[in-house]
Amino acid sequence: MDSLGLIRDFLHERLGVAPEQVVPEAALAAVGVDSLMMLELMFEFEDRFGITLSKNLKSPTTIGEMIALMERLRREQSAS
Amino acid sequence: MNQRRVAVTGLGMVSPFGAGPDDFFARLLAGESAVRLLRTDDAPRPLNLPFVTCPDFDPEAELGKPLAGTMDRFAQLAAAAAFAAWADAGLTRTAAAGEERDAWGVAWGTALGGTLAYEKGYRELWQKGRERISPLSVVLGMNNAANAHLSIQLGLGGISMSHTVACASSAIAIGEAFRRVRSGEAPVMLTGGSDAPQAYGVARAWEALRVLAGGDETTAASACRPFHAERSGLVLGEGGAALVLEDWDRAVARGARIHGEIVGYASTCDHSHLVRPEIAGQVRALQATLNDAGLTPADIDYVNAHGTATAEGDSTEAAALRAVFAERAGRLAVSATKSMHGHQLGAAGAIEAIVTLLALREQALPPTAHLDALDPACAGLDHVTAGRRDQPLRAALSNSFAFGGSNAVLAFRAVR
Repeated sequence: MDSLGLIRDFLHERLGVAPEQVVPEAALAAVGVDSLMMLELMFEFEDRFGITLSKNLKSPTTIGEMIALMERLRREQSAS
Repeated sequence: MNQRRVAVTGLGMVSPFGAGPDDFFARLLAGESAVRLLRTDDAPRPLNLPFVTCPDFDPEAELGKPLAGTMDRFAQLAAAAAFAAWADAGLTRTAAAGEERDAWGVAWGTALGGTLAYEKGYRELWQKGRERISPLSVVLGMNNAANAHLSIQLGLGGISMSHTVACASSAIAIGEAFRRVRSGEAPVMLTGGSDAPQAYGVARAWEALRVLAGGDETTAASACRPFHAERSGLVLGEGGAALVLEDWDRAVARGARIHGEIVGYASTCDHSHLVRPEIAGQVRALQATLNDAGLTPADIDYVNAHGTATAEGDSTEAAALRAVFAERAGRLAVSATKSMHGHQLGAAGAIEAIVTLLALREQALPPTAHLDALDPACAGLDHVTAGRRDQPLRAALSNSFAFGGSNAVLAFRAVR
């Protein structure tokens, strides 16, 4: 599964957000992701992709930023 | 001190029977039991015991997915009950124009808090061998999650408190809320309690205390028999119940429906033993409540007993009532409605407060179900046993006596 698919599944399951609303330009806050839900979403990425997010990671503000961040971490951590 | 009168203007409940407080009370008047055999698929040994659940309660449908997902079941039960009480009081989720809610507060009772969330985490860590658990675990599990959610959802800026006093949790929550309205500190307080004790570890722990009633498919409904000569213990249950307490003059001014008046409250501690109740501590709580309410034993027409159906608990409570009501005890109507709705731990006091209020409002008493052979140690009271009893009721008490020796008594008066 890619990052966008993961985010769509997560937001649909947890918040009932329709998948078509989850597009790269959408703000995470606009689809109901507050600071607690951000932690849950990051936890989901760690779990599903086997990556580790550092504690001082700067939180993304849009779906697109989140996708870019997760994809970069996947590349970096799979290479190491 | 200028004390305010305190009206109960809202009642709400997540009921095992599926509807609200009026339906719940009607079922109790009819002697209907909500106790069923609970079977789970827990490993290593499934639960298989008489229990009370709320099978029709659908948190996502009731609260919406985003909110329900940030709550453990005890907070979901709290929110559903509280929102129902709020609506019953004619109040809106967001403050009406000119309505200042900065002094309005919440006092919520829970004995267990988010036990199911904690248990889920333990299973992940120790059963599934995972190293991490959900980041929401802390805020799902914390005991003040329910009152925090209620304050947030309803925009209440005053005190937001959780009260964890075992089986007296919500009686004490209601009492403390009552005092805040009576003193004028808060014009409105949302109060009540909720618990979900079907967590595997919790149920097993209660089983280990050897206080749970046994039963099978055919006997579960009558498993809880307070004051009965052959009672075998209590029946646990989940539930949530809420009350809106309001400054009497404010309630009258806005034309609110007043279900009843809360007039007194006291809490004492036996200070002697963790689980063995003491007559003296309960007597002090009963007398202090009467004093607080400005009532005498002659003014009380009904007591909703704590009555859990344990040998020591029932006989101690009966003795305490005989001591306080003396020559009047034999004419004091008493019933233990846990015989039908079970013991909701931190929600029990609020459920029974609602039962007591509705008894006063409807001038009708629910029975202690299944009481066909009275324990002689519980005699000397007017036990209501044979279904609904209609009689004039002026004032009534609701008893809640907890492990730890904490005793709480609430006094209510019919609207005059």
